[in-house]
Amino acid sequence: MNYVCLNDHRDRLIEELRKKNIIMNPEMKKYIKEYGGPFHEFIKENVKVAEEENLPICQDTGMIEFFAFLPYNVCLDQPLQNFFDSIVSQTYLENDFRYSTVIEPIGDRKNANDNSPAIVHIIQTNDHKIEIKFLVKGGGSENLSALFMLKPSIDEEEIMDKIVQYVRDNGARGCPPLNIGIGIGGTSEKATFLSKLALLEPFESRNIKRKYRKMEEQLLERINRLNIGFQGLGEGITAYSVHIKEYPTHIAILPLALAFDCYISRKGCVQIEY
Amino acid sequence: MFRLNIELMKIRNTVEYSGEMILMRDAAQKRLVKDFETNNKLINLKDKIVFYAGPAKKPKNSPVGAIGPTTSERMDKYLEFLFKNGVLGTVGKGKRSELAIELCKKYRRVYFVTPSGSAAALSKCIIKHDVLLFPDLQTEAIQKIQVKDFPLYVAIDIFGNSIF
Repeated sequence: MNYVCLNDHRDRLIEELRKKNIIMNPEMKKYIKEYGGPFHEFIKENVKVAEEENLPICQDTGMIEFFAFLPYNVCLDQPLQNFFDSIVSQTYLENDFRYSTVIEPIGDRKNANDNSPAIVHIIQTNDHKIEIKFLVKGGGSENLSALFMLKPSIDEEEIMDKIVQYVRDNGARGCPPLNIGIGIGGTSEKATFLSKLALLEPFESRNIKRKYRKMEEQLLERINRLNIGFQGLGEGITAYSVHIKEYPTHIAILPLALAFDCYISRKGCVQIEY
Repeated sequence: MFRLNIELMKIRNTVEYSGEMILMRDAAQKRLVKDFETNNKLINLKDKIVFYAGPAKKPKNSPVGAIGPTTSERMDKYLEFLFKNGVLGTVGKGKRSELAIELCKKYRRVYFVTPSGSAAALSKCIIKHDVLLFPDLQTEAIQKIQVKDFPLYVAIDIFGNSIF
């Protein structure tokens, strides 16, 4: 067994979370540079102002979703939920971000006043380091999430039609251009989880299986032909990345989950060696 | 008082707006409508521009924190209430429902979009900020801002033409 004291890595994680809210994702910068449609000067100016003045790129500084890739033989000094909640709380109390979480989902929806709690997923691995990834998930793109329980006899073309149709109808609401995460197979919640994991992938990486890789490429092309564009205003790209993650499923089912990230794609990663 | 000349605006026109805007979003509008229905209480909305936004924390030496539009479609169910009470136009982001387009046409009102994910730069267009109503809602309170050269883009005009 290996013992890891999470608090030794606190400052690094807080800094990573702060930076991802303030500094534009470097993978995204080239798409912003290429964009020349409505508000393009303003969008470019924003990248500069945020970084220079320590202001968040977007006022919706999100709910934080952590994905802890945890080797099976590691023992921690505290529960991950407590650790991540305190990371979020400290980061949001110390910076000019927005408290966007409410304690009760229905009724008075009173603000939590420190942006906690975090959403925490633990993925057990056979690795030799802990990897903590996170998404800063704004409400606009999160509201586009979707789950379809498809008929198992549906073919690949029909699945792609369904996805393209969904983006056509809804994409303009989620601050495009979009990152699209797709989970196929498993059960309803497994597909949903996979769709979120897919958002963590680097923009240019593709599924290692040819079938899914081809679908990713075709979907990216077809979605960009929708011409929804930056801000939904019809100019510039509509999607900058599509990833599929698949899992074995039941003979009677075919879950399809879609997750979306907006054009500022705030995601981070901290590795813990021991 | 300065009033935006919305009658002349066409879809895809850009406007650099200087003047007043009222901030409200989901929670504030829900409470505003309820207060009106139960106690007939309402703030003055005549000729106002409503901006669907909830700012981030205010930095020292700034009138307001990072600010930007939220998704307008969620507000469509309150749109007729706003128009009936004199609101001139709304500002937000994204596509709206057919209902919103019909209401803009019926009341001859406009819908503007302003850039999302541009909250640091947008905050630089704001020169004054006050909380008007429901301070307990914090970022979601009804607030009043004075803006200078605030970027707007006409997404639905008074004839019900829509860019979406």
